[in-house]
This record gives sequence, structure tokens and C-alpha cells, in this order.
Amino acid sequence: MGPVTDFLRTFVEGAGGLALRMFVIVVPIMVVMEVLEGTRPFRAFVRAWARLVGRWLGMSEQAAAPTVIGFLFGLAYGGSLIVRDTRRHGLRRRQVFQMSVFLSMVHAVVEDSLIFVAVGASAFWIVVYRCAWAAVVTVVLGAVAVAFVERRRARRPRPPV
Amino acid sequence: MTETRHGDAGEEGRGPGPGAAVAAPGPGPLRADVRRGLRAGLATFWDLIKMMVPAYFIALLLERLGVIAVLAEGAEPVMSLLGLPGEAAVPLVVGYVLNIYAAIGAMQALALSAQQVTVLAIAVLIGHNLLVEGVVLQRAGMNGVAFGVLRIVAGLAAAGVANLLMGVV
Repeated sequence: MGPVTDFLRTFVEGAGGLALRMFVIVVPIMVVMEVLEGTRPFRAFVRAWARLVGRWLGMSEQAAAPTVIGFLFGLAYGGSLIVRDTRRHGLRRRQVFQMSVFLSMVHAVVEDSLIFVAVGASAFWIVVYRCAWAAVVTVVLGAVAVAFVERRRARRPRPPV
Repeated sequence: MTETRHGDAGEEGRGPGPGAAVAAPGPGPLRADVRRGLRAGLATFWDLIKMMVPAYFIALLLERLGVIAVLAEGAEPVMSLLGLPGEAAVPLVVGYVLNIYAAIGAMQALALSAQQVTVLAIAVLIGHNLLVEGVVLQRAGMNGVAFGVLRIVAGLAAAGVANLLMGVV
């Protein structure tokens, strides 16, 4: 077999296998997600969970909701919700920063993780470990940002009253 | 963009739609949800394939031509910290610039162990599509470039720590 034939054969087999794995795993789960999204228990779960996680990460309830949406469905959607809520509720800059840090570490957790599970990555490490990592980074960077802002504020002389 | 499409699908599913107050005629809500999910799933599938297959083709071609071997040598010192071979830098960078679909396509051209796939997945899942998503963060009032750097550094660190922990556990 020549190198070109071998290349083409590897390509066709590899691409076919990849497509099949994606189809078998991604499509059914997307259907399940779509059905779940509309149900009342699922929405109640998301709300309860948003409150809980928001408290851990030091977020207000208003900041927690778009974070959970972005966490589940993707940065583009969560991000646009953040932009909207910043205008609507006047979210504080620290809140927006923490939401952005958390979401930049984990977003679209169902879909993106699934795709990697389909090619053999461990679900525990890419979901549980990554979420824990994101939470730690969010809390640490949030604290660093607060300290930084306060130091800068302290150094600046107060304007005369 | 897939994520935008997802957003749209999410929006449809949330809150009572215009038809919700009226008893829906024809197919039940479950059937409608399944149909919508199927459509969203197939659309996602098509988005994946559109990126993955060309990326796989190019990566396989570069590998056969020996280009990846040259790149791998340069990346080896950094990648070995993560327990990855030098050529794993290719899907990583492809993921940073493009997205995770292209990264997986490029990954398929390499022979990696299950642990290496997981470690690489962590780095790519934290840092990917940095240009497009940087714009989203910028629009939310953040510094898109700083977040890009954060995602690369935090992703590599997370992957490195995971690699060490996996050796212990």
C-alpha cells in the first residue's frame, strides 16, 4: 500500500469513527437536556443550586443566576445575560469580575464535557475536578482583586471634603 | 457559533412561551421538546463535524509530512511538565485559536493514553476559542486579553496538577 492510500484510509477510518462517537453520545444527550430544561423540577433545581453556589463563591443571588445559565449552556449566552443584568440590576464590578472568572474556567459544562468524554476523557476529572478548580480560582482571584482595589484606594489621598 | 445557537435553544425552553397559556394543539409538549432537542442535537453534531474532520485531515497530513515532529521537539520541555508528548501542543494551540472541536480533530491524529487525553482535555476545556470568547468577556466590561492569559495559565496549571494527582490516586 502506498503512502497516499494509507493516509486516505487512516483518514476515512478515523473521521468515520470520530463522527460515529459524536453522534451516538452527543445527539441523545442533547434531546434529554432539551426535554429536562422545560420541566418544573429542573428549573427549581437550577434556582436552588444557583443560591447555594452563589453563596460559596460570594455572589449575590442576581449574579448567581446568569452564572449558572452560562455554566450549563455556554459563555455566549451567559455572557449576554451578564451584560443585560449589569444594566438591569446595576451589578457591581466585583460581581461581574467573579462571574467572568468562574465562567471563563467552566461553561457549557454538559456539551463541552460530553464531547471529550466521547473521545475517552475521564468524566470525573473534566467535570468534578474542573468545577472545583474553577471555584478555587474564583474565590482566590476575587480575594486578590478586593485586596488590590483596597490597597490602591488606601494609597490614594482622600479628596478634601 | 454553536454557543449562540445553544443560547437561543435555552431561551426557547425558559419561561412560559406565547403558546404556553393556551393548551397546545397537535403534538404534546414532550414530543415537541424531543423534536426540538433532536434538531439542536443534529445542529451541534453538524457543527462538530464541520470543524473536527478538516482539523483531523490537516493534523494527520502534517503528521505524515513530519511537520508535527519538528514542532513537537520545541514544545517537549513544556508539555513534559504535564506528562504529555511534545506533539500534544498542536491540539492545545489549535484549541486556543479555534475551538474545542478543532482541538479534538487534531488530537485524533496523535496516539495518546487515556490519562493523557484527560489531562489535555482539562487544559483545552479551560482555555479555548480565546479570540471569540475574549470578545464576549470584553463586552461584559472585562479585559479580554487578561482573561485569555488567565485561561491559558490556569488551564495548564489545572492540567499539571491533575496529572500529578492522577499518578497518586
